[in-house]
Amino acid sequence: MIVDAVTARYAEALYQLASERGVLESVRSGVEQIAGEIAEDSVAAFLFDARVPATEKRSRLERLGETLHPLLQNFVGLVFDKHREEVLRGLGAAFRERYLAGKGAVEGRVESARPLAQADIASLAGNIGRRLSREVLLTNEIDAELVGGVRVLVDNRLVDHSVRGRLAGMKKRLKSAGVPNA
Amino acid sequence: MDLRPAEVTSILKKEIESYQGDTSMQSVGTVLSVGDGVARVYGLEDCMMNELLEFSGGVRGVALNLEEDNVGCVLLGSATEVSEGDEVRATGRIISVPTGDSLLGRVVNALGDPLDGRGPLGVGDDDFLPIEQPAPSVVERQPVTEPLQTGIKAIDAMIPIGRGQRELIIGDRQTGKTALIIDSIISQKTTGGGDPSNPEQVLCIYVAVAQKQSTVVDLVRRLEAAGAMTYTIVVTASAIDEASMQYLSCYAGATMGERFRDEGRHVVIFYDDLYKQALAYRQVMLLLRRPPGREAFPGDVFNLHSRLLERAAKLADNAPQINPRYKAGGGSMTALPVVETQEGDVSAYIPTNVISITDGQIFLEANLFNSGVRPAVNAGISVSRVGGAAQIPAMKKSAGGLRINLAQYRELQAFAQFGSDLDKATQATLTRGEKLVEILKQGQYAPVPVEEQVMMIHAGTSGSLDEVPTVRVGEFERAFLAHMRDAQPEVGQGILESGLLSDEAKATVQEAVGAVRAQLGM
Repeated sequence: MIVDAVTARYAEALYQLASERGVLESVRSGVEQIAGEIAEDSVAAFLFDARVPATEKRSRLERLGETLHPLLQNFVGLVFDKHREEVLRGLGAAFRERYLAGKGAVEGRVESARPLAQADIASLAGNIGRRLSREVLLTNEIDAELVGGVRVLVDNRLVDHSVRGRLAGMKKRLKSAGVPNA
Repeated sequence: MDLRPAEVTSILKKEIESYQGDTSMQSVGTVLSVGDGVARVYGLEDCMMNELLEFSGGVRGVALNLEEDNVGCVLLGSATEVSEGDEVRATGRIISVPTGDSLLGRVVNALGDPLDGRGPLGVGDDDFLPIEQPAPSVVERQPVTEPLQTGIKAIDAMIPIGRGQRELIIGDRQTGKTALIIDSIISQKTTGGGDPSNPEQVLCIYVAVAQKQSTVVDLVRRLEAAGAMTYTIVVTASAIDEASMQYLSCYAGATMGERFRDEGRHVVIFYDDLYKQALAYRQVMLLLRRPPGREAFPGDVFNLHSRLLERAAKLADNAPQINPRYKAGGGSMTALPVVETQEGDVSAYIPTNVISITDGQIFLEANLFNSGVRPAVNAGISVSRVGGAAQIPAMKKSAGGLRINLAQYRELQAFAQFGSDLDKATQATLTRGEKLVEILKQGQYAPVPVEEQVMMIHAGTSGSLDEVPTVRVGEFERAFLAHMRDAQPEVGQGILESGLLSDEAKATVQEAVGAVRAQLGM
């Protein structure tokens, strides 16, 4: 998930404040609630439509936020004040990433041609986690084009142990290998 | 070269074997945007400056801007094969090019990939060196002492170039800048007989930046015809290539030259031309959104050229003891950058920058060129700040008079147009000047060996040609030099060996001048 610099800063500020006040869990559930709302097409279409006046967007979101933690209500207010509604789009992912990082964890995905057993995923996560000195939470994605093996993507780092990746690597190396002079 | 099945299998076996356990962790990113030859990439957290990146389509790129949340890079291939969301991998190595003997005689691009259709280069992993390398430090250098003979009379006599020097060739378009380079390359054949394995042979590197491909082909043909391609590398980033390739090609050429320099060889490198390189750099930097400065060039355009030209050097004899990077001491890399001016304006931004970096300049003038003085070297404003120390004594002596005579001639030239009422001394100065200008004219692709230059210039400055009709000086020169080659080869040999023109030799030259003049009826 691509998190832009602006969203990352807003999320960082929110995270720090929430952890200082010891209300991390309730803020996190609130952020997830907002992210869930925005994920709905109708809300997103409304919220990010330039033709809708900001005041209308704001009042609607504030109505939604009445049940949220006061810190998060302030956050939404600030985002509108600064004309940074776009921040809300990536807030869920950014906050989640920061929340996990705070716990020493990172999310990633493992791609494989066939579904992997839970035990295999866990041992992969354990191995990679040791190298990154972090807890790795892997989700399995199926990509039949890999032919075999796995491809693990964690925190902008890639371990390509798939048949497709190795074939591509071999092709490249064969092409660049110098033929001994006859 | 035929592909032998056993060898291919052996490579295959090696490749397959080396695949065991090859699961290193790579840094990856995602393309955010791409266009105009630059891309912005998200991720790639531990990316290095100038690191080579690989895009999923096989296109390569170089990271140039490392920012908070993205990496700005230039593409070294077609941008059409890269799209938003593509995966980008960091290769973990700084952009590097192949170097070494196997490049001699080849035409390669800015990444060292061969373009001449003569198969792979046959270089090993160790032969790849980064294109940006620090220049030799103060203690690793020594002053310029050996001459680099260009074979061009006007230059070797008046604007001498030493090995390790940086001499700018500057002039408008169509004033013979590239022709001068071709002649200089051909002239290097005299140093080692054109055999690249001879340690005396001066190796040449020609970097063509944004040149027409037809020009490059023509140049390579000319060099091949003269037997000069065997000791030459042509690095070309032609007009059709990406701006990134155009700007990187000079550094690639410098790295190839440095390899030879560090092995104790002598190299001369031509950058043709640095103005176009600056334009390519400006384009890339503006697309990467670096702030523009004067004439919209980025702020580091001076450093762009200074760090490149600083890599030209004459290494100290004990350089290997100071820095193990050098395999042998005493090697040199001479840089002859070219800058094209507009309407003779040498005070424009890039020309003044490069003039201040180099150890002198050879100014080629359109007026001279059009009036038939070719090479169109303007001796008045051309200088060489360090080359004098490298001139052979015989040339230094003969050419001393040449400079003064020509300067006096230029001063009086204006008067000559007013009529014939001139005193004798003025008349004599004008006549002498005319002959000397005529002597310095030279045909294309015909470099003159230094000993012949000395004899001819001595004949001119001693006044023996004052009575020869100006239009017939060229004819005399051909006959005279042929005579000296055939009848008195010992004079030329003597100059080459001792570096001096002895009184005895002077007398022989005078005698020969007389004989040839009588023979031609002048």
